[in-house]
Amino acid sequence: MNDLKRQRVEQCIERFRHGELTEEQLRRTLEDLARSEPRYQDLLYLQTGSTSLNSSAHGMAILLNGELSDGPADPEDWPYKTPLEAIRDGWRVLQFPNMALIMDESKAYGLGCEFILERWS
Amino acid sequence: MRIPDIAPTLSDTQMLDFCRQGFLVLESVVADEINERVCEFIGRQPYAGGNGGAFEDKGLLEQAWFVEHVLLNPQAAGAVRSLLGKNASLPTWMYNHQARCPKAAQTWHRDGCSRYGHQVNHLQVFYYPQDTPLELGPTEVLPGSHFLFNLGPLMGHYGTIKGSVPTAAPAGTIFLTAYPIWHRRAASTTQGLRHMLKYLYWRREPPRRDWLIEPDFALADLNDLENSLYGRGATGQDQFQYWHDIARMFYWLAGMQENFAAFLGADGWPMGHPPRRKPEGFGAHP
Repeated sequence: MNDLKRQRVEQCIERFRHGELTEEQLRRTLEDLARSEPRYQDLLYLQTGSTSLNSSAHGMAILLNGELSDGPADPEDWPYKTPLEAIRDGWRVLQFPNMALIMDESKAYGLGCEFILERWS
Repeated sequence: MRIPDIAPTLSDTQMLDFCRQGFLVLESVVADEINERVCEFIGRQPYAGGNGGAFEDKGLLEQAWFVEHVLLNPQAAGAVRSLLGKNASLPTWMYNHQARCPKAAQTWHRDGCSRYGHQVNHLQVFYYPQDTPLELGPTEVLPGSHFLFNLGPLMGHYGTIKGSVPTAAPAGTIFLTAYPIWHRRAASTTQGLRHMLKYLYWRREPPRRDWLIEPDFALADLNDLENSLYGRGATGQDQFQYWHDIARMFYWLAGMQENFAAFLGADGWPMGHPPRRKPEGFGAHP
Protein backbone atom coordinates (compact mmCIF):
# COMPACT_ATOMS: atom_id res chain seq x y z
CA MET A 1 0.00 0.00 0.00
CA ASN A 2 1.46 3.35 -0.96
CA ASP A 3 1.62 6.41 1.30
CA LEU A 4 -1.41 8.12 -0.23
CA LYS A 5 -3.66 5.13 0.31
CA ARG A 6 -2.41 4.66 3.84
CA GLN A 7 -3.11 8.31 4.57
CA ARG A 8 -6.72 8.04 3.35
CA VAL A 9 -7.36 4.95 5.46
CA GLU A 10 -5.78 6.59 8.51
CA GLN A 11 -8.13 9.56 8.03
CA CYS A 12 -11.10 7.19 8.09
CA ILE A 13 -9.82 5.52 11.26
CA GLU A 14 -9.40 8.91 12.91
CA ARG A 15 -12.95 9.93 12.04
CA PHE A 16 -14.23 6.57 13.25
CA ARG A 17 -12.55 7.15 16.62
CA HIS A 18 -14.30 10.47 16.93
CA GLY A 19 -17.63 9.03 15.84
CA GLU A 20 -17.58 11.17 12.70
CA LEU A 21 -17.21 8.51 10.02
CA THR A 22 -20.20 8.36 7.67
CA GLU A 23 -21.18 5.99 4.90
CA GLU A 24 -20.76 8.80 2.39
CA GLN A 25 -17.17 9.45 3.53
CA LEU A 26 -16.36 5.77 3.32
CA ARG A 27 -17.74 5.53 -0.21
CA ARG A 28 -15.82 8.64 -1.28
CA THR A 29 -12.61 7.19 0.12
CA LEU A 30 -13.30 3.92 -1.66
CA GLU A 31 -13.72 5.72 -4.99
CA ASP A 32 -10.59 7.79 -4.39
CA LEU A 33 -8.56 4.68 -3.69
CA ALA A 34 -9.87 2.97 -6.80
CA ARG A 35 -8.86 6.00 -8.88
CA SER A 36 -5.59 6.72 -7.12
CA GLU A 37 -3.18 4.96 -9.47
CA PRO A 38 -3.15 1.96 -11.76
CA ARG A 39 -1.77 -1.31 -10.52
CA TYR A 40 0.68 -3.07 -12.76
CA GLN A 41 1.84 -6.59 -13.10
CA ASP A 42 5.59 -6.65 -12.55
CA LEU A 43 7.50 -9.35 -14.39
CA LEU A 44 10.97 -10.71 -13.71
CA TYR A 45 12.78 -12.90 -16.22
CA LEU A 46 15.67 -14.92 -14.88
CA GLN A 47 17.66 -17.28 -17.10
CA THR A 48 19.64 -19.84 -15.11
CA GLY A 49 21.99 -22.74 -15.64
CA SER A 50 19.66 -25.39 -14.27
CA THR A 51 16.06 -25.85 -13.15
CA SER A 52 17.08 -25.55 -9.51
CA LEU A 53 15.51 -22.59 -7.75
CA ASN A 54 18.94 -21.99 -6.31
CA SER A 55 20.68 -21.92 -9.68
CA SER A 56 22.66 -18.77 -10.49
CA ALA A 57 21.12 -16.40 -12.97
CA HIS A 58 23.10 -15.60 -16.10
CA GLY A 59 20.46 -13.43 -17.70
CA MET A 60 17.78 -11.06 -16.47
CA ALA A 61 15.20 -8.51 -17.53
CA ILE A 62 12.49 -6.83 -15.50
CA LEU A 63 9.18 -5.02 -15.98
CA LEU A 64 8.51 -2.66 -13.05
CA ASN A 65 5.51 -0.32 -12.89
CA GLY A 66 5.04 -0.72 -16.62
CA GLU A 67 8.65 0.15 -17.41
CA LEU A 68 10.93 -2.35 -19.13
CA SER A 69 14.54 -2.62 -18.03
CA ASP A 70 17.45 -4.90 -18.82
CA GLY A 71 18.64 -4.54 -15.25
CA PRO A 72 22.13 -3.42 -14.19
CA ALA A 73 24.89 -4.01 -16.73
CA ASP A 74 27.08 -5.68 -14.11
CA PRO A 75 25.63 -9.03 -12.98
CA GLU A 76 27.06 -8.36 -9.52
CA ASP A 77 24.50 -5.58 -9.22
CA TRP A 78 21.46 -7.64 -10.23
CA PRO A 79 18.69 -7.48 -7.64
CA TYR A 80 18.36 -11.26 -7.51
CA LYS A 81 21.11 -13.79 -8.12
CA THR A 82 18.76 -16.80 -8.09
CA PRO A 83 15.01 -17.42 -8.49
CA LEU A 84 14.92 -18.38 -4.81
CA GLU A 85 16.13 -14.92 -3.79
CA ALA A 86 13.33 -13.37 -5.83
CA ILE A 87 10.71 -15.66 -4.30
CA ARG A 88 11.91 -14.71 -0.84
CA ASP A 89 11.34 -11.09 -1.81
CA GLY A 90 7.71 -11.68 -2.71
CA TRP A 91 7.88 -12.72 -6.37
CA ARG A 92 5.67 -15.60 -7.48
CA VAL A 93 6.70 -18.10 -10.13
CA LEU A 94 4.54 -17.57 -13.19
CA GLN A 95 6.34 -20.04 -15.41
CA PHE A 96 8.82 -22.72 -14.57
CA PRO A 97 11.46 -23.52 -17.23
CA ASN A 98 9.61 -25.27 -20.01
CA MET A 99 11.41 -28.42 -21.02
CA ALA A 100 8.73 -29.90 -23.23
CA LEU A 101 10.35 -28.68 -26.44
CA ILE A 102 13.90 -29.71 -25.63
CA MET A 103 14.16 -32.80 -27.75
CA ASP A 104 17.76 -32.84 -28.93
CA GLU A 105 20.58 -33.28 -26.47
CA SER A 106 23.15 -32.05 -28.98
CA LYS A 107 21.78 -28.53 -29.03
CA ALA A 108 21.84 -25.80 -26.43
CA TYR A 109 18.54 -23.96 -26.43
CA GLY A 110 18.31 -20.27 -25.82
CA LEU A 111 19.80 -19.10 -22.57
CA GLY A 112 19.11 -22.32 -20.74
CA CYS A 113 16.39 -22.47 -18.08
CA GLU A 114 14.05 -19.52 -17.88
CA PHE A 115 11.99 -18.59 -14.85
CA ILE A 116 9.28 -15.97 -15.24
CA LEU A 117 8.07 -14.44 -11.99
CA GLU A 118 5.43 -11.84 -11.18
CA ARG A 119 4.16 -9.55 -8.50
CA TRP A 120 1.81 -6.56 -8.36
CA SER A 121 3.04 -3.09 -7.60
CA MET B 1 34.39 -9.92 -57.35
CA ARG B 2 36.83 -12.15 -55.47
CA ILE B 3 39.53 -11.66 -52.91
CA PRO B 4 42.86 -11.61 -54.75
CA ASP B 5 45.57 -14.12 -53.98
CA ILE B 6 46.70 -12.79 -50.64
CA ALA B 7 48.33 -14.53 -47.72
CA PRO B 8 46.32 -15.75 -44.73
CA THR B 9 47.07 -13.95 -41.48
CA LEU B 10 45.44 -16.07 -38.77
CA SER B 11 47.27 -18.79 -36.86
CA ASP B 12 45.86 -22.08 -35.56
CA THR B 13 45.29 -20.48 -32.18
CA GLN B 14 43.47 -17.50 -33.66
CA MET B 15 41.33 -19.78 -35.82
CA LEU B 16 40.45 -21.82 -32.76
CA ASP B 17 39.62 -18.65 -30.87
CA PHE B 18 37.24 -17.62 -33.63
CA CYS B 19 35.54 -21.00 -33.32
CA ARG B 20 35.19 -20.50 -29.56
CA GLN B 21 34.12 -16.87 -29.49
CA GLY B 22 32.27 -16.62 -32.78
CA PHE B 23 33.95 -13.33 -33.54
CA LEU B 24 37.34 -11.74 -34.08
CA VAL B 25 38.26 -8.10 -33.43
CA LEU B 26 40.73 -6.28 -35.68
CA GLU B 27 41.21 -3.00 -33.89
CA SER B 28 42.02 0.21 -35.78
CA VAL B 29 43.10 -1.59 -38.94
CA VAL B 30 41.61 1.01 -41.30
CA ALA B 31 43.57 4.27 -41.62
CA ASP B 32 42.12 7.46 -40.18
CA GLU B 33 41.91 9.24 -43.54
CA ILE B 34 39.84 6.38 -44.94
CA ASN B 35 37.53 6.38 -41.93
CA GLU B 36 37.01 10.11 -42.37
CA ARG B 37 36.35 9.66 -46.06
CA VAL B 38 33.75 6.98 -45.30
CA CYS B 39 32.01 9.27 -42.82
CA GLU B 40 32.02 12.12 -45.35
CA PHE B 41 30.59 9.85 -48.02
CA ILE B 42 27.83 8.68 -45.69
CA GLY B 43 27.13 12.27 -44.64
CA ARG B 44 26.50 13.30 -48.25
CA GLN B 45 23.80 10.70 -48.77
CA PRO B 46 20.17 11.81 -48.76
CA TYR B 47 19.38 9.58 -45.80
CA ALA B 48 21.72 11.56 -43.54
CA GLY B 49 19.75 13.52 -41.00
CA GLY B 50 17.04 10.91 -40.68
CA ASN B 51 15.98 9.28 -37.50
CA GLY B 52 18.52 6.56 -37.80
CA GLY B 53 18.12 2.91 -38.56
CA ALA B 54 19.49 0.36 -40.94
CA PHE B 55 19.59 1.21 -44.62
CA GLU B 56 21.31 -0.28 -47.59
CA ASP B 57 24.35 1.61 -48.78
CA LYS B 58 25.68 -0.02 -51.92
CA GLY B 59 27.26 3.25 -53.00
CA LEU B 60 30.37 2.65 -50.94
CA LEU B 61 30.86 -0.79 -52.46
CA GLU B 62 31.24 0.89 -55.84
CA GLN B 63 34.09 3.10 -54.64
CA ALA B 64 37.51 1.74 -55.59
CA TRP B 65 39.16 3.38 -52.59
CA PHE B 66 36.65 1.72 -50.23
CA VAL B 67 37.23 -1.69 -51.78
CA GLU B 68 40.98 -1.29 -51.57
CA HIS B 69 41.30 0.11 -48.07
CA VAL B 70 38.35 -1.46 -46.24
CA LEU B 71 37.11 -4.61 -47.97
CA LEU B 72 40.63 -5.60 -49.01
CA ASN B 73 42.33 -4.12 -45.99
CA PRO B 74 45.34 -6.45 -45.57
CA GLN B 75 44.52 -7.51 -42.02
CA ALA B 76 40.80 -7.91 -42.59
CA ALA B 77 41.16 -9.66 -45.93
CA GLY B 78 43.96 -11.83 -44.54
CA ALA B 79 41.64 -12.98 -41.77
CA VAL B 80 38.84 -13.58 -44.26
CA ARG B 81 41.27 -15.53 -46.42
CA SER B 82 42.16 -17.68 -43.40
CA LEU B 83 38.55 -18.44 -42.51
CA LEU B 84 37.00 -18.74 -45.97
CA GLY B 85 39.94 -19.87 -48.07
CA LYS B 86 41.06 -18.56 -51.43
CA ASN B 87 38.82 -16.77 -53.90
CA ALA B 88 36.21 -15.72 -51.35
CA SER B 89 33.60 -13.38 -52.82
CA LEU B 90 33.58 -9.78 -51.73
CA PRO B 91 30.42 -8.30 -50.26
CA THR B 92 27.54 -7.78 -52.66
CA TRP B 93 25.56 -5.54 -50.34
CA MET B 94 26.15 -3.41 -47.30
CA TYR B 95 23.94 -1.93 -44.61
CA ASN B 96 24.70 1.04 -42.45
CA HIS B 97 23.22 0.46 -39.01
CA GLN B 98 22.90 4.08 -38.12
CA ALA B 99 21.74 5.18 -34.70
CA ARG B 100 20.90 8.69 -33.67
CA CYS B 101 21.99 8.70 -30.04
CA PRO B 102 21.03 8.61 -27.25
CA LYS B 103 18.87 5.58 -27.88
CA ALA B 104 17.61 2.59 -25.92
CA ALA B 105 19.24 -0.78 -26.52
CA GLN B 106 18.02 -2.91 -29.38
CA THR B 107 16.61 -6.34 -28.57
CA TRP B 108 18.93 -9.34 -28.74
CA HIS B 109 18.70 -11.17 -32.03
CA ARG B 110 20.51 -13.24 -34.57
CA ASP B 111 20.24 -12.06 -38.14
CA GLY B 112 17.72 -13.47 -40.56
CA CYS B 113 18.44 -16.74 -42.36
CA SER B 114 20.87 -17.84 -39.65
CA ARG B 115 21.59 -21.55 -39.56
CA TYR B 116 23.34 -23.03 -36.58
CA GLY B 117 26.13 -25.47 -37.18
CA HIS B 118 29.82 -25.96 -37.54
CA GLN B 119 30.18 -24.75 -41.11
CA VAL B 120 31.61 -21.33 -41.85
CA ASN B 121 30.54 -20.52 -45.37
CA HIS B 122 30.26 -16.80 -44.96
CA LEU B 123 31.38 -14.15 -42.53
CA GLN B 124 29.33 -11.32 -41.17
CA VAL B 125 31.50 -8.25 -40.78
CA PHE B 126 31.01 -5.07 -38.77
CA TYR B 127 33.07 -1.94 -39.45
CA TYR B 128 33.11 1.22 -37.34
CA PRO B 129 34.24 4.24 -39.36
CA GLN B 130 34.18 6.45 -36.26
CA ASP B 131 35.25 6.07 -32.65
CA THR B 132 32.52 4.04 -30.97
CA PRO B 133 32.85 4.21 -27.18
CA LEU B 134 30.32 2.72 -24.77
CA GLU B 135 28.42 6.01 -24.72
CA LEU B 136 27.68 5.70 -28.44
CA GLY B 137 26.04 2.28 -28.12
CA PRO B 138 28.46 -0.15 -29.77
CA THR B 139 27.20 -3.52 -30.85
CA GLU B 140 27.04 -6.00 -27.99
CA VAL B 141 27.77 -9.66 -28.72
CA LEU B 142 27.44 -12.84 -26.69
CA PRO B 143 30.61 -14.92 -27.16
CA GLY B 144 29.90 -18.52 -28.11
CA SER B 145 26.26 -17.83 -28.93
CA HIS B 146 26.76 -18.97 -32.51
CA PHE B 147 26.19 -22.41 -31.02
CA LEU B 148 23.12 -21.49 -28.94
CA PHE B 149 20.04 -22.52 -30.82
CA ASN B 150 17.26 -19.97 -30.73
CA LEU B 151 14.94 -18.15 -33.07
CA GLY B 152 15.19 -14.40 -33.41
CA PRO B 153 11.57 -13.65 -32.49
CA LEU B 154 11.95 -15.66 -29.27
CA MET B 155 14.91 -13.62 -28.01
CA GLY B 156 13.19 -10.26 -27.66
CA HIS B 157 12.64 -10.48 -23.91
CA TYR B 158 16.27 -11.13 -23.00
CA GLY B 159 17.92 -8.29 -21.11
CA THR B 160 21.35 -8.23 -19.55
CA ILE B 161 23.26 -11.44 -20.22
CA LYS B 162 26.26 -12.47 -18.18
CA GLY B 163 29.35 -12.76 -20.38
CA SER B 164 28.12 -10.45 -23.12
CA VAL B 165 30.75 -8.12 -24.55
CA PRO B 166 30.36 -4.54 -25.78
CA THR B 167 32.45 -3.96 -28.88
CA ALA B 168 33.48 -0.43 -27.97
CA ALA B 169 36.38 0.35 -30.29
CA PRO B 170 38.30 3.12 -31.99
CA ALA B 171 37.59 4.19 -35.55
CA GLY B 172 38.77 1.75 -38.19
CA THR B 173 37.95 -1.36 -36.19
CA ILE B 174 36.56 -4.36 -38.05
CA PHE B 175 34.84 -7.37 -36.48
CA LEU B 176 34.51 -10.69 -38.24
CA THR B 177 31.65 -12.75 -36.86
CA ALA B 178 30.00 -16.12 -37.34
CA TYR B 179 26.66 -15.27 -38.89
CA PRO B 180 24.35 -16.75 -36.19
CA ILE B 181 26.03 -14.92 -33.30
CA TRP B 182 23.64 -13.16 -30.93
CA HIS B 183 24.04 -9.42 -30.94
CA ARG B 184 22.29 -6.10 -30.45
CA ARG B 185 22.99 -2.40 -30.53
CA ALA B 186 23.71 -1.41 -26.94
CA ALA B 187 22.04 1.53 -25.24
CA SER B 188 23.72 4.87 -25.95
CA THR B 189 23.88 7.74 -23.52
CA THR B 190 25.46 10.59 -25.45
CA GLN B 191 24.48 12.81 -28.36
CA GLY B 192 25.76 11.74 -31.75
CA LEU B 193 25.28 9.63 -34.83
CA ARG B 194 26.66 6.14 -34.75
CA HIS B 195 27.50 4.35 -37.98
CA MET B 196 28.14 0.64 -38.20
CA LEU B 197 28.61 -0.84 -41.64
CA LYS B 198 27.70 -4.49 -42.01
CA TYR B 199 28.48 -6.76 -44.94
CA LEU B 200 29.26 -10.38 -45.83
CA TYR B 201 32.09 -12.32 -47.46
CA TRP B 202 31.30 -15.66 -49.08
CA ARG B 203 33.25 -18.92 -49.29
CA ARG B 204 33.93 -20.23 -52.78
CA GLU B 205 36.25 -23.14 -52.09
CA PRO B 206 36.08 -26.21 -49.84
CA PRO B 207 37.57 -25.73 -46.38
CA ARG B 208 41.12 -26.84 -45.67
CA ARG B 209 43.83 -26.02 -43.16
CA ASP B 210 45.25 -23.24 -45.23
CA TRP B 211 46.30 -20.67 -42.67
CA LEU B 212 49.36 -20.03 -40.47
CA ILE B 213 50.11 -23.44 -39.02
CA GLU B 214 51.78 -23.53 -35.63
CA PRO B 215 54.28 -26.39 -35.35
CA ASP B 216 53.34 -27.11 -31.76
CA PHE B 217 49.61 -26.97 -32.26
CA ALA B 218 48.25 -30.41 -31.33
CA LEU B 219 45.60 -30.92 -33.95
CA ALA B 220 45.65 -34.69 -33.50
CA ASP B 221 43.98 -34.66 -30.13
CA LEU B 222 43.44 -30.97 -29.40
CA ASN B 223 44.58 -31.45 -25.85
CA ASP B 224 45.41 -27.79 -25.80
CA LEU B 225 41.84 -27.07 -26.73
CA GLU B 226 40.52 -29.07 -23.83
CA ASN B 227 42.89 -27.43 -21.40
CA SER B 228 42.27 -23.94 -22.63
CA LEU B 229 38.50 -24.26 -22.75
CA TYR B 230 37.81 -26.14 -19.57
CA GLY B 231 35.05 -24.30 -17.76
CA ARG B 232 34.91 -21.55 -20.34
CA GLY B 233 31.80 -22.44 -22.25
CA ALA B 234 29.32 -19.96 -23.59
CA THR B 235 26.56 -18.73 -21.35
CA GLY B 236 23.73 -21.24 -21.40
CA GLN B 237 25.62 -24.16 -22.92
CA ASP B 238 25.58 -27.65 -21.51
CA GLN B 239 28.70 -29.04 -19.87
CA PHE B 240 31.30 -30.08 -22.49
CA GLN B 241 28.92 -29.34 -25.36
CA TYR B 242 30.78 -26.15 -26.19
CA TRP B 243 33.97 -28.17 -26.41
CA HIS B 244 32.37 -30.52 -28.92
CA ASP B 245 30.97 -27.64 -30.98
CA ILE B 246 34.25 -25.73 -31.10
CA ALA B 247 36.31 -28.78 -32.01
CA ARG B 248 33.84 -29.73 -34.72
CA MET B 249 33.94 -26.28 -36.26
CA PHE B 250 37.74 -26.30 -36.20
CA TYR B 251 37.86 -29.74 -37.82
CA TRP B 252 35.43 -28.58 -40.48
CA LEU B 253 37.48 -25.47 -41.24
CA ALA B 254 40.58 -27.64 -41.49
CA GLY B 255 38.81 -29.88 -44.01
CA MET B 256 39.06 -32.82 -41.62
CA GLN B 257 35.41 -33.28 -40.81
CA GLU B 258 35.56 -36.94 -41.81
CA ASN B 259 38.07 -37.55 -39.03
CA PHE B 260 35.95 -35.94 -36.38
CA ALA B 261 33.98 -39.04 -35.37
CA ALA B 262 37.16 -41.04 -34.80
CA PHE B 263 38.64 -38.14 -32.90
CA LEU B 264 35.68 -38.16 -30.56
CA GLY B 265 35.68 -41.90 -30.04
CA ALA B 266 33.20 -42.86 -32.75
CA ASP B 267 29.73 -43.29 -31.31
CA GLY B 268 31.07 -42.85 -27.82
CA TRP B 269 30.10 -39.21 -27.71
CA PRO B 270 28.85 -37.87 -25.43
CA MET B 271 30.96 -39.73 -22.93
CA GLY B 272 30.70 -37.31 -20.06
CA HIS B 273 34.24 -36.15 -20.49
CA PRO B 274 36.46 -35.00 -23.33
CA PRO B 275 38.24 -37.58 -25.47
CA ARG B 276 41.58 -36.74 -23.95
CA ARG B 277 40.61 -39.17 -21.23
CA LYS B 278 39.22 -41.85 -23.48
CA PRO B 279 40.87 -45.26 -23.22
CA GLU B 280 43.77 -45.80 -25.57
CA GLY B 281 42.59 -47.22 -28.87
CA PHE B 282 38.97 -46.37 -28.22
CA GLY B 283 37.20 -45.71 -31.51
CA ALA B 284 39.98 -47.33 -33.50
CA HIS B 285 38.18 -50.63 -34.04
CA PRO B 286 36.43 -51.13 -37.38
